[in-house]
Amino acid sequence: MAMPMRRVLVALHRTTLSSLKNAEGSLDVWHPAPLYLPVRTKKRFFIPPAVKTREKKVIDVEKKARKAGIVLRQQYLERPINIACTAGIFDPYIPPEGDARLSTLTKEGLKQRTEQLRQSAGSQLAIRKIKEHDTQFKTKSFAEQAQEIFIEAHNHLAQFNREKLHSLVTERCYPEMTRGNRYKTISWRFVESLEPPKVVHARCPEMVSKGNLYGQVTVRMHTKQTLAIYDRFGRLMLGTEEQPKDVLEYLVLERHVVNPYGRWRLHGKIVPSWAPAKDPIIKTVLIPGPDLKPGEEFDAINYQVPKSEAVQWNK
Amino acid sequence: MLQSRLQVLGVAPQQLSCLHTSTSLETKKWERQNLKVYPPQQPDDLRRPAEIYHSRRQIKYSKDKMWYLAKLIRGMSIDQAIAQLEFNDKKGAKIMKEVLEEAQDMAVKNHNVEYKSNLYIAESNSSKGKYLKRIRFHGRGRFGVMDIVNCHYFVKLVEGPPPIIEEKTGFDQAKEYVQNLKNRTIIHSL
Repeated sequence: MAMPMRRVLVALHRTTLSSLKNAEGSLDVWHPAPLYLPVRTKKRFFIPPAVKTREKKVIDVEKKARKAGIVLRQQYLERPINIACTAGIFDPYIPPEGDARLSTLTKEGLKQRTEQLRQSAGSQLAIRKIKEHDTQFKTKSFAEQAQEIFIEAHNHLAQFNREKLHSLVTERCYPEMTRGNRYKTISWRFVESLEPPKVVHARCPEMVSKGNLYGQVTVRMHTKQTLAIYDRFGRLMLGTEEQPKDVLEYLVLERHVVNPYGRWRLHGKIVPSWAPAKDPIIKTVLIPGPDLKPGEEFDAINYQVPKSEAVQWNK
Repeated sequence: MLQSRLQVLGVAPQQLSCLHTSTSLETKKWERQNLKVYPPQQPDDLRRPAEIYHSRRQIKYSKDKMWYLAKLIRGMSIDQAIAQLEFNDKKGAKIMKEVLEEAQDMAVKNHNVEYKSNLYIAESNSSKGKYLKRIRFHGRGRFGVMDIVNCHYFVKLVEGPPPIIEEKTGFDQAKEYVQNLKNRTIIHSL
């Protein structure tokens, strides 16, 4: 398109010049090029650069790099895997029904309170394996240590200190704790411990190769805590600041025992199937109704909101 | 002062380190307003209304034509605005309706808004996007530069019922003026 325009313009240029000589300005008579036609004329039109480049040449970057002599290293398409922690809780502890529901005054309650670590072979074997690698491991002191780790981790979560949180919590537990927290403010406070923490379960699974041991110890804690979550605008979303709540938790801590620099870190929580329902959030939530066929009407009175079944799950 | 000194020495301004790392045409300031986190409120404070900022960039429509629609929905509740745009014949109305619906979804899911109808449009603007330039051929070998127009659309939703603006008629304003004149007193007079 640029060529015919230039020709048109040059032709126009010539005809305008000829009209200067000739007063009538006859456009259909072609005069030969006048002597004083300037050779190099200023480009008086504008063509945007995008119009010229109709067909874009496919540039082969590899070929050019090879010509220039640049050698690119072979790219390995690999997915990184984390070996500092396991991906879940192996052989999880099943908390007995009605734990911490009976008062100490009854015989059953007293039996529950004074129950020693269950003499299950699996837990004893696991503890023995852990003691092989870590000589200072003691179930009595470990429970206290676990509670301290728990309190520190949650304090750092409330203030959101990424580095310290990574050192106190495994890589599997970190996203579970921090998902959705970015634009929220969490205020958590540990009030007191109602019962001393107790080690209830231990397992020492091997991952991938024999001898690669990871120790997972479950600790039972009955404590009083306060939790309040505020949304982006500083409005209360969940919980209260003043009212503390009694919390019965089964924490799982993990350590890569074979690694001499390994540390006991929070790996997850076990929520039993008989756990009481959580407090509802402050706002109302829309639950999508059933799919109706055209012509059907929604029966609000007889409609029951579907409830999920009570199943033990690990968090 | 430093820059002028360096220019005197003969150092070109491009060689100096520049604080501006992105041009003013590519900034996403409106979207960044959504990332502001306020500190927790005291229980006796007034509940802060949620503000949701949303935008759509490089819409294939004119900014002037979009402005008419943006002006139409300013101050309306979100349901009213969506209804008005649904039955509007302009091309920009369909796009604007999609933007409002997206913003409403975002408000409920991400910004802790309880009722999706309890929102009103606080701000609604259109602005120029990046234009492509082409030639437009006129007669007699003349040409013009044709702009292929794009626009951006910005909307800010605030939680709560839409504010009622009291409209003052001319008669009311005149009455007020006359009243002000009557209220004048001359001090230290007999």
